[in-house]
This record gives sequence, C-alpha cells and structure tokens, in this order.
Amino acid sequence: ALEAAEELAEELWGAGLPGDLPELEPECRSLLAAFAKGSAALTDCLGRRARPVRLCQGCHGHYRRLLAQYGSIARAVGNSSESHNCAKSILTSDRLQIVVTISEFFNETWEAANCANCLKNNSEGLSNSTEEFLDLFNKSLTCFEHNLQGRTDYLSPNNYTEVCKNCNETYTKLNDLYNDLQRMNRQGGESGHSAHLCIDVEDAMNITRKLWSRTFNCSVPCSDTVPVIAVSSFILFLPIVFYLSSFLHSKQKKRILILPKRIQSNASLVNIQEKYS
Amino acid sequence: QLTPSSFLRIGQLSNVDLNEDIHELETELPRQRPNEIPHNEKLLSLKYESLDYDNSENQLFLEEERRINHAAFRTVEIKRWVICAMIGILTGLVACFIDIVVENLAGLKYRVVKDNIDKFTAKGGLSFSLLLWATLNASVVMVGSVIVAFIEPVAAGSGIPQIKCYLNGVKIPHVVRLKTLVIKVCGVILSVVGGLAVGKEGPMIHSGAVIAAGISQGRSTSLKRDFKIFEYFRRDTEKRDFVSAGAAAGVSAAFGAPVGGVLFSLEEGASFWNQFLTWRIFFASMISTFTLNSVLSVYHGNAWDLSSPGLINFGRFDSEKMGYTIQEIPIFIFMGVVGGILGALFNALNYWLTMFRIRYIHRPCLQVVEAMLVAAVTATVGFVMIYCSRDCQPIQGSSVAYPLQLFCADGEYNSMATAFFNTPEKSVVNLFHDPPGSYNPMTLGMFTLMYFFLACWTYGLTVSAGVFIPSLLIGAAWGRLFGISLSYLTKGSIWADPGKYALMGAAAQLGGIVRMTLSLTVIMMEATGNVTYGFPIMLVLMTAKIVGDYFVEGLYDMHIQLQSVPFLHWEAPVTSHSLTAREVMSTPVTCLRRIERVGTVVDILSDTSSNHNGFPVVESNPDTTQVAGLRGLILRSQLIVLLKHKVFVERANLSLVQRRLKLKDFRDAYPRFPPIQSIHVSQDERKCMIDLSEFMNPSPYTVPQEASLPRVFKLFRALGLRHLVVVDNRNEVVGMVTRKDLARYRLGKEGLEELSLAQT
Repeated sequence: ALEAAEELAEELWGAGLPGDLPELEPECRSLLAAFAKGSAALTDCLGRRARPVRLCQGCHGHYRRLLAQYGSIARAVGNSSESHNCAKSILTSDRLQIVVTISEFFNETWEAANCANCLKNNSEGLSNSTEEFLDLFNKSLTCFEHNLQGRTDYLSPNNYTEVCKNCNETYTKLNDLYNDLQRMNRQGGESGHSAHLCIDVEDAMNITRKLWSRTFNCSVPCSDTVPVIAVSSFILFLPIVFYLSSFLHSKQKKRILILPKRIQSNASLVNIQEKYS
Repeated sequence: QLTPSSFLRIGQLSNVDLNEDIHELETELPRQRPNEIPHNEKLLSLKYESLDYDNSENQLFLEEERRINHAAFRTVEIKRWVICAMIGILTGLVACFIDIVVENLAGLKYRVVKDNIDKFTAKGGLSFSLLLWATLNASVVMVGSVIVAFIEPVAAGSGIPQIKCYLNGVKIPHVVRLKTLVIKVCGVILSVVGGLAVGKEGPMIHSGAVIAAGISQGRSTSLKRDFKIFEYFRRDTEKRDFVSAGAAAGVSAAFGAPVGGVLFSLEEGASFWNQFLTWRIFFASMISTFTLNSVLSVYHGNAWDLSSPGLINFGRFDSEKMGYTIQEIPIFIFMGVVGGILGALFNALNYWLTMFRIRYIHRPCLQVVEAMLVAAVTATVGFVMIYCSRDCQPIQGSSVAYPLQLFCADGEYNSMATAFFNTPEKSVVNLFHDPPGSYNPMTLGMFTLMYFFLACWTYGLTVSAGVFIPSLLIGAAWGRLFGISLSYLTKGSIWADPGKYALMGAAAQLGGIVRMTLSLTVIMMEATGNVTYGFPIMLVLMTAKIVGDYFVEGLYDMHIQLQSVPFLHWEAPVTSHSLTAREVMSTPVTCLRRIERVGTVVDILSDTSSNHNGFPVVESNPDTTQVAGLRGLILRSQLIVLLKHKVFVERANLSLVQRRLKLKDFRDAYPRFPPIQSIHVSQDERKCMIDLSEFMNPSPYTVPQEASLPRVFKLFRALGLRHLVVVDNRNEVVGMVTRKDLARYRLGKEGLEELSLAQT
C-alpha cells in the first residue's frame, strides 16, 4: 500500500501539478533511484560478508558502481536552468542531505577497512599479492581440514601434533608472506597510506593464527628458563661485588677542613650555643 | 665556663656527629695538621667561586659608558635580540639533532635485539639474546660514560643543578664551555641509546645554557676563535641574562613549552628580572620550539605541519573521556600525596647512593664500570620482566614500535615489552594513550617497582642524562594502575579512562622528585596542550611538594648541597637575626694601598693559603701599619691584567708611547684570566709601584659591623655581589663578607647550622 501511495505521488509530481512547486527532473530522479539501488546492494553485500570478513573481495564491484553513481549525481546538470541541476537539488537542498550521508558512510567504511590496500591500483579486482595470500590461506585451511578429518574428537585439547607437523610448511609460508606484506606496506606507508593491511587479509591471518597457536597449540616456543636465570643472576650479582669491593678497597675520599679567619665574639657564640642547647 | 677553645669548637658545630676526637685535636693545633673528614653534606667547597654580577665601576668603565651615545645603546639592544634569536635557533637545532640520532640509533638497537629474540624464541637459547642486549647496552653506555668521566665530568647528570648554581651566581668550573656542550650532547645520545632509565630533556636545558653563553660572547675559547662581535657582552652580568634565556630555550625545546621555559628560568634560576629581559627570554623560547618543530616536521616528511613542538610530546588530551569532573579532584589530590611520598623516598634513596658515590666511587674508571653495570642490569631486569610476563595483547596496527612476541600466541605481543623494550619517551606516551585494557595491573605494578629502583640508581651516574622522563614514566605507570583499580572498585563507572590518571600520576611523581611548582605546572599544561588540566595539575603538584618537603628536600637542591656549593637561597635563614656582620665576616682582610709596590701585589696574589679574589684598596699611608680608610675595591682578575701589561708608575714615566690600558684589555682576558704563576715579574720590576686608583672600583658596597645577617644577605643577594666590605665608623676596613660567609648558615633540623669550609 505504501509503495502504491509513493507511486501515486510520483505520478502526480510527474504530471506537473502545481507549477511553482520545485520538482525533480526525470533524469535526476532516475539517477537517484540508481543510487538507492546501488547502495542497497552494497549494504546487502557488506552485511553478508561481515563474518568471516570478505568485504573487499566481494563488494569492491558494488562499491565502485556506487561511487560512479554518486559521481554522476554530483556532476550531472539538469537540462533546464543552471539553478536546477541535479547535484543541487539532490545533494544540498535540505537539512538532512541523506544522499551525502549515505555516500560518506560507505566511503568511511571503505577507508576503515583499508580495502584499497588489497585491490589493484585502478581498484578493479584484487592485487596479485592479495591473490597469492588468499591462495595460501585457502591451502592452509584445506590442510587443516584434511589432517583433522580422520578424527572424531574435534574438541580434545591435545593431540594436534599431526596437523602441526603436516601443515607447518604452509603455515610458515603464509605467516612469512603476511609479514612481508606488512613490511612492504609500512615502507610505502610513509607516502600517505595508513599502516594497516586490508581487513580481509588481516582477518584471514588472525583466524589462521588463532587456530594455529590457540586451538592446535602448535607454536610452542622453547623456554630455556635455566640458562636465562643463570645468566641474569650472574649479571645481577656483579653490582653487589662491585659495590662491596669498592667499599672495602677504595680509599675513602677525605675533605680537608679549612679554618675560616673570623672574630669569635662572645655574644654571638652565646647566641648560637643557646640555640643548640 | 666559656674558654676560648670551646668558642672555637662551637664555631665548628656543623660536623658535630662523627669526629669529636678530631675536633679536639684541631682546636689545639689549628694550623699544623690539616683536618680531614669524610665528605658530608655540611661542607662548602673552596673550589667554587662567585661570579661578578656587579659591574666594577672604575674610571675606565665610566669613560666608556660616557662615550657610548644614545644610538649606540640602541644597537646594543638590537644585538641582544639577535643573540636571543640565535640562541633559540641553535638550541632547537641541537634538540633536533639529539632527537633524530637517538631515534635512529635506538631503532637500530631494538631491531637487532628483536630479530635476535625472535630467532631464539623458536630455536631456544634466549640467554644469548639476554647477553646480546646487556652487552650492547653496556658498551654503548661505556662510551658515553668514558667521555663524561675522562673528558668533562661537569657534563654528568642533567645539568639543571649546575645551571641553577650558575644563575645563582656560583662559578662552576667549565659549566658553560663548548667542550661541555659537545660531551653533553654525545653523552645524552649514548645514554638514551644505551637503554638507561634516563631522558634527554634535562640535558637540553644545560645545552641551551651553554649555547647562550657561547653565542653571547662571540667567541669560543675552546676553539680559539674570536669573531670580534658582541664584545660589549663580555662580562658576567650580561652573560647571566643570556644564560637564563638559553635555559628557557632548552626547556622549550625539550617539552614544547615556551611559557614553561620562561617560568622555569624565573623559578629555578633567575635572581634578577625585569620585563624586557622576560620578553627577550620568551622570544628565545618561542624561536627554539618553532625551530625544532619545523625541522622535525620536515624530517618526518610532513613539512609545514608543525605537529611536534617538543622532544617529548604527550599527545592530544582533548577527547571527551579525557575530561575530568569535580568529583575527581579529591582523587587527584590523593595522587599528589602518593607522589610526594614516593618522590621523597626516591630522593632519600638517591641521597644515600650519591653520598656513597662521592666517598668511594670517585675514580673515573670506577665510575665508568658502575655505569656499565647499571646498563647491563637495566637490560637484564627488562629482559627478565618480559620473560616472566604472561600478559599478551593483540597487535593493533602499528601502535607498538617493536612488538616482541616471545611466548605469546602468533599475532599477539608481550605488553611488558612495550614498557621496557622501548625508549622511555615512547613508553610514557604509550602509558598515556593506549586504550584501556592494554596493560594488566600486575604488569604495571611490577614495572613501577622495577623502574623506580632503576631510575633512582641511575640518577647520579657519570653519564649525562635527565631525571624528568624516568619520573614521568614511574608516575604514569602507577597512575595508570591507580586508574585501573579505581574503575575496578567503582565497577567501571564514569572514571573509565586510565590515561588521565597516568598523566596525573606522572605530574605527581615528577613534582615529588624535583619539587618545581609554577614552571612544572605550565610545562605539563603546555605539553598536554590542554589548558583545563591546569587546575588539577596545579593541585597535584602543590600537594606533592608539600608532602615531599615534609620529608626531604628536592632532588636538585639535594645534589647542590652534596656538591658543597655555596648556594644562596632567596632569604637568609629565618632565625639568623641575632647574627651581625661582625660575626659573619672574615677578618683580617688583606688590603692593598692605592699606590702599591708590585712585589707586594705579586706576593699576595701568589699566596696559595689565601686565595682571595677581591682586595679592598686603602689610602696609601706608607708609614703606618694601621689599616687606613677604604678607597675602593680591586679584583684579582684586574690585578693580573695590570701585571701582565706592566702598568707601573715608573714605566709610565719612562716610555711616552705606552698605550693606555682600556676596558677592552680586561674584556679580552675574560672569562679565563691567566693564573698568577704564568706572569713573569723580574726583580727590578718588583721594586716598581703600581697605581690602582684608575682601575679599582671606587664605590664598593659596604656595611657597618652592626648590620644583621638578614640585612647583609639581602644586599648581597639582591645586587648579586661578590665582595661586601665591612667598615667601622671611621670607614676603615674591618672585614669582608663573601658568598661562602653567608652560605654557611643554613636552617637544619635543629635550628641554625653552620657549615665548614673544605678543600675538595
């Protein structure tokens, strides 16, 4: 019913009811409709790919289209007079400026996710390094699954040794690649980019690392407590030796007192002595 | 019952405690056997002399002043501004240099150690990483300590006590030389890179002062270069003004706090102020922070951004949750109390340590070994703390400069490492700004405890390094801990952000240690960039000072006292009204006659037992041995210049071409007058006469014998005198009051105490 009412209203406007009321030109209206559709599609995409995060991989097409649509609104000039162009009537003629707000929201989200970082320079498709990373990521996930298949007790905390042994190579590769990407990014980061990688890559790495070191408990560092304690207690022991030996062997510095040349009058000394006694 | 010997003993009451037997001996044989005692705080060293802040208004000076016309005075005034601008620029550049070099060298060190630790975490053998870290630290600190201990010992420490003394009017040998500046700058870089618990902010103040002293003289004696400019400023009075500007510029570069710098000069150093000087000093400070800011912003790649005004930048404190409410004020005051107590504890511990160091660790090689040991232990403590810590935090972007994983899961870092495995400046900023939950309370508690002792142990080593940053760091750590526990107690209500408490804790701790008030408030306010924090910071610093002063005095005053410097405070001790000039003065005084025999002058100057610097000139009355009326005062330095140029009465009559001595001759010799031994006077010349009337100051300040000590003190302190002649009612010299005569009275625990003079 609501939609019907809307359509009716549009038709009425279209019929050019009262001439003095400001109206939206048909071109502008179609631009607006396209923008609305595009933003709905992008929202849908973002929502669906929120967990596990696949925003940049899945939604970059939508985002690019939306950008183009917004651009055409901002640029488009209606066919009547200058004052009635679409940009003005859609973007700036009311307090709310909802189109601007929506577009800003998407831009900010895109910035925060840092998607530009894993897309190609013209933002068509993923960059090569990202593709490589995601390949490796899928490979390691497959490896994890493969090695866990035969097992029934998924939740038992121990006994993941097989996974650790078999997938170590892929995992290490993945980890190294990630670190490389990060380092490259940081070096490039001084020319304006922020230091984060794009959210897809970060999230993928986080999931893998968590699985690897929390769930499978694979990265067990060698803890060599005994040598560390030995070395540190040796170093901590040195100052004690130093201070003791300098206390015992060093000659204490003496000061030579100098007698001042001064009148010792009775009155003042009595005064001072009273104070002391 | 008052026998003369008991009088003498009472005169020496200062070192009452240990040496009763030596006293007995000394009173009986006062001159035969030098009296040796261990170093203690109740001594005044003979090593320190006064500066001549009072112009010697002799005929030469008056002639020169008369010759300078109005326009020439304008040029002098313009020169002063130019010098201040140069001081600001150079201080800013030195600060940039220190900052950039420290950043790169420390970055290199931490990367090497981090790679090593990462490698050995996987394979085992972390003890090697520990050894590597400790050795790196120790060797870097060794270099820093060697240059200080062997080349320029006065560059040790933060330099603030020394500058305080200089501005008070005490001539600390070598304190404003170029060599000191070089050693200071290199030393501070090495000690920060060496990972000691020190900051580079305090030494900036000393550096600024040296730069100021150097520029204002237009020459460098160390480099043997004289640029023949700014000759008018070659005297202590003018130099002092520039040195205070330099100190202000140093503070301003260190903290990005120009107003704080000016107030620092006012609070800590200045004895003599007027509004023109203040305005000039402010100018120098502003120039200094602006220079630092623009150079660093170019270095960081965003030129014209001007976002790094100081060496340490506390970061922005203007977000919503950093605001405070009126209910929090009592909590802040309580933090002030805690800071005062901890500061007093710090000072007391450091007092004992310093005393031990002065008595037993006085050989340079021992000092170097000690500094190396401290560096190694600092690294070890850091390593052990990181090793034992199980506090892992997820890595968020690149907020952590050198994330150490160690035993944490992949993708996480050890949060103890952000505190220990970093330069102290960065750790402070992390403690202020890391989001809540970045540190667990256990980590903070252990860190505070360890760092407290490390910082206390480090201050007073023979390396050049400041105490500001370590204090801030200790305070920020316990302040953050305090904030976290508050939000635990209140079940996470309004007081959520621990960064605010970290800031207050830092202020409290620093105030508790150094006991600065006005300037520190403004410095903290400017460093945070938030004026609304002024009120709580002021309250915190006030409380910390009141509580701390109840126990022991501030760190800088303590060190000044331990160095046996004759430091004059603002006022005479309150209970000293009963003393008069007669008891305070030294007597008899070595006087010179107006026309004196050269031999006598040379003998007096060469007498090592009485190393006087000012001599009252009396009427020539050759037949009497009686001291005659006072005519003027002449300084040792002037006599030496006269002897060097052989300005003898006989020679003046002989040679017509002889040039008249000008004020310039005295200035050229300033500030390092040759010792008397280097001046050769032949037997014939010894018989000549020397006429002092043209060179002596004919109107020296005098007091009658009956003047009370506070009155004498006021005259002396307010005018910055070096010698004050005590005369009787016939204007005959009866005694002389110098700085050491006044500084030896001090208000101790049991009332008025008297310090003794000692040779050091």
